[in-house]
Parts: sequence; structure tokens; C-alpha cells
Amino acid sequence: MNALDTLLSPVVLFFALGLCAALLRSPMSVPQSFAKGLAIYLMMAIGLKGGVEMSKTAIDGQVFAVFGAATILSFGMPLIAYAALRFTSGLSKTDAAATAGHYGSISIVTFVAAIEALRIAGVPSSGYLVAVAAIMETPAIITALWLAMRGSKKSDADEVARDKGELAREVLLNASIVVLLGALVIGAVAGAEGYERLSPFFTAPFQGILCLFMLDMGLNAGRGLRRGWRKLGVAPILFGIYMPLIGASIAAVCCILIGLQPGDMALLMVLSASASYIAVPAAMRLALPESDPSVYLTLSLGVTFPFNIALGIPLYIAAASMLAG
Amino acid sequence: MTDDNKKLRLELIIESPALRRAEDLLRDAGATGWTVVPAMSGFGGQTRWSRGTDISEATDMVVLICIADEDVLEPALKTILSMLDRRIGVVNVSDVRVLRPGLF
Repeated sequence: MNALDTLLSPVVLFFALGLCAALLRSPMSVPQSFAKGLAIYLMMAIGLKGGVEMSKTAIDGQVFAVFGAATILSFGMPLIAYAALRFTSGLSKTDAAATAGHYGSISIVTFVAAIEALRIAGVPSSGYLVAVAAIMETPAIITALWLAMRGSKKSDADEVARDKGELAREVLLNASIVVLLGALVIGAVAGAEGYERLSPFFTAPFQGILCLFMLDMGLNAGRGLRRGWRKLGVAPILFGIYMPLIGASIAAVCCILIGLQPGDMALLMVLSASASYIAVPAAMRLALPESDPSVYLTLSLGVTFPFNIALGIPLYIAAASMLAG
Repeated sequence: MTDDNKKLRLELIIESPALRRAEDLLRDAGATGWTVVPAMSGFGGQTRWSRGTDISEATDMVVLICIADEDVLEPALKTILSMLDRRIGVVNVSDVRVLRPGLF
């Protein structure tokens, strides 16, 4: 599968349709609760499939090495992102830290699109990468809060400490983590036989539902861009494009050291290159309310997400095939 | 109507992630009830916003309405105001008369 095939796939084209519709100020919308249901469906589907795959293979040292690398990547990527933003853009310390947190965490929809791209390309990947996705959701938030709180007023730190229960619930028990890990365990317990009974619901409609969700993501990205582009200069927008490449490159080095196969390498690169727009914004609004959501949401959803969907995924798959093939 | 019917009505428009914190403040102050309704759209800080346009729902706004005695709400207002130091929000308090004072 080449880059043109990816660009012309229905998943990308529906995303483009939503993006164009929003940029042209179309009143079209997907009801919020329906879109939330679609997201849960997609996470359940990949969680279950990942769990079934995991039930077929033994968990060895390589898997734990990937878990470790993923944790370090999620903790570490915000440090690079923060330094890049502070050095190149005029973003405040708080905005830079909040944005950096998004780039250490992951986009589950980009991950789903990458799994689908790998499936179409006939490149096999391991089911445990779903657990890796869940692992990478959270550590970046901790790094972002640390970056923002360094040298801040005691009252601000006290307020974050007061909200720690709510913050912990948001960070550790958000829908992505609960559904992904829950479906992964259920898939592992049910095995191939159990999944077969669910297959009519989770296999055949998957592509169509992903297209529907991508349409909504396009609408969200377009609206975000329309609202937020004025607040972003050239430097932050460029950051939204080069930061995924930095993330993917660092992940590729980790994968080479661990000795991963191309499919798994491509997925870890995608996870490291993607930026959160669901779990992290909620945590940032809670802990860093003075940070500007139009900066980090526009960058993660309006710049990095489209870049990864249209160009990043085929690039990472090609790079992984070359480096690990 | 007697003085018992006179109450204060707090209306707080706030981002949904901060709602629980505001509710905790009211509960700690002794408020016995409140209502939360979703805010649909608005304009402020030179930005137009509307519900359902942010997939994370982190920027959705809610309106919290609480009616209580003055001696309950006044102390809570100080902490609510300090909470709003770092947050987006609109707060107002008005005098109201209730028909069933025993409920507040």
C-alpha cells in the first residue's frame, strides 16, 4: 500500500469531508453522545481483537521491554515537546507544558486507523500493543503537571493537590483506559471462540463505523482550526508537524533496540507520534485551568491528527518496513 | 411571605471539569441542594463557544444553580471566588423568594 492508497482510502476521505465541511462552516454535526458511543465501539473492537491475539501468544521479555519503553516515551516526550515549544514559540510556560502533555500521550483513533492501514497492507501486528496504548495515556500528564508547577505559586500547587482525587479519577479511569484494558482482558478470556460469536458486530461493521467516526473527527478538527488558528503562530503549527516525526523517530530507535517486527514497530511509532485530544485536555482543564485549550486542542486535533492520518501513518509503516523488515 | 421565604440564589457558569470542585465547596458550606444544567453556547473573551464541538468535552460549560440561606451561601462565595481566580467562569448572586422555604 503506498501513500496515495492511504490518502484515497474511505477513512481518510471521510475525515477530509468532515474537515472541509467544518472549514466551510457547514451546520452539519454528529450528535456528541452518538460520537462518544462510536468511540467506545472502536475501543471495544480493538481491545477485544488485541485480547484474542494476546491469548494466542505467550507474554515474553520483549513484551515487557515494549511496556517499559512505552512508559519512558510517555514520561519523556513532553520534556522534548516542552523544550521545543519554549525555544521556538512564544507560548507561556503553562501553555507549553499543557501542550507538551498532549504530545506524550496518545490518540486512540490514530492508533485504530494505523491498525486498519496495517491490516489492509497485510502487515501483521501484535495484540498487546493495545495495552501499550493504554499505558501511554497517563504518564505524560504527570510530566506536564510537573513542568507547569515548577516554580509556580504555592497556592496553585495547593489547588492541584486539592483536586488530586478528581484528577486521579480522570487520568487513571478515563473511558479510553477502562474500555481498552477491559476489552483486552475480556478478549483474552473469551479467546478466538468467544470472539467468533461477537464477530458480526465487531468485524464487518468496523470499517463503516470508523468512517463515520472519522467524519466527526474531521468536523472537530475543522472547527478547532477555524476557532484556534488565529491564536497560533507559524512556530506552534510547525511544531504540530515536526513533533510527531521526532516522536516516531525516537520510538523507532527503541524498537530497533528491542528487536520488534515491522507491524509492532509501526504501531509504537504511531503511538509516539500521536497527540491526545480526549484524556489530556480534560486533565489539563482540571489541573491547569489557566492554560489555553484553543492552543493545545487546535494543535493536537487540527494539525497533528490530520497530518498523522494523511501522511504520518503511511510514512511510519514504510519506515518500519525498511528498518525492521 | 415571611423572612423565611427570602433566600440567595447563586448562579455559577463554569467549565464542566471544575463542576465537582464547586459542588464540594457548596456541600462543605452546608447547601442542601443544587441543580446543574448544560450551557449550550455563548460568547466571551472574544471567543464564541458551543457545546458538542470539543470531543474531549473538557471545554463544555455547565450552569450550577443553588438556592440557600444567606448564612450558608455567603461563606461559600469567598472560596468559589478564589476558585475562579484561575478558571473561566461567571458567578452572580441574587435575592429570591421561595414558596417552600422548608426545602432549602
